[in-house]
Amino acid sequence: MILIIGAEASGKREFAKSLGYSDDDFTTDPFDGKRVVYGVQSILFADHTRTQELYDALADKEVVICNEVGSGVIPIGREMRLGREAAGRLCVLLAKDAEAVVRMVCGIPTIIKGQI
Amino acid sequence: MITLMTGGSACGKSSYAESLAVRLNGPRYYLAAMQPYGEGGAEKIAKHRKMRRGKGFETIERYRDYASLALENKGGTALLECICNLTANEMFDDAGKVSDPYARVISGVEHVAAQCSNLIVITNDVGSDAGVYSDETMRYVRALGRINIALAQMADNVYELVAGIPIVLKGKLI
Repeated sequence: MILIIGAEASGKREFAKSLGYSDDDFTTDPFDGKRVVYGVQSILFADHTRTQELYDALADKEVVICNEVGSGVIPIGREMRLGREAAGRLCVLLAKDAEAVVRMVCGIPTIIKGQI
Repeated sequence: MITLMTGGSACGKSSYAESLAVRLNGPRYYLAAMQPYGEGGAEKIAKHRKMRRGKGFETIERYRDYASLALENKGGTALLECICNLTANEMFDDAGKVSDPYARVISGVEHVAAQCSNLIVITNDVGSDAGVYSDETMRYVRALGRINIALAQMADNVYELVAGIPIVLKGKLI
């Protein structure tokens, strides 16, 4: 599995496409059998308790795309605060298993683990 | 040559960019896109003015429409700060009307770059938090992201500043 992280609109999906995936391969639903899952943070923003379930589902994907969300002000709302934490922790778990981790900045990939 | 600098707030982008600009050839222009909104804006502008004092910059305050900016002296070094302000100014006009800033920001930067031998462009990554903002703000965050990607493609060098340290994402340190 390749994990792609980065800010909102930093070019994560475009980078995945450069690896040979097309629009039909992309989904936001980890359980629908497609090869590339993006927007994973949104699932945890809605329900922060799903980390383990998501981890189990995503570990078998080819590409997982998640926003880096921990660099701003800690949100006041409890649910968002816990969702943000869960997104960070899920990235840590996925990165441990990933054969490669790519961080996008301004559309430029930096491979921070493994190789592609 | 275009050098793009990104990074979070107060990571040292401005001071690194200025120290780079003074090593490059003159004449030197500082292109200021930030509108002095409120006390915080005025303070930030005063701080940046103080930092630049005595470094030989001519300051041009211009909030939008860089595509029609004519620099009096061509072939020098310009420092444009910053794309996050310029994007906001091009997206929201003074009457509050909202439009897609992408083409105006990109053509503006291209136009300035054509008049300098060195253009240093400062931007910011505003999409790295868990904030769920209004639709309008999210449009801004995404527009800035798209603009940053296009600028990085245009640029010869792209640096991310972290705690004042430039990390080279593209090109080389100059």
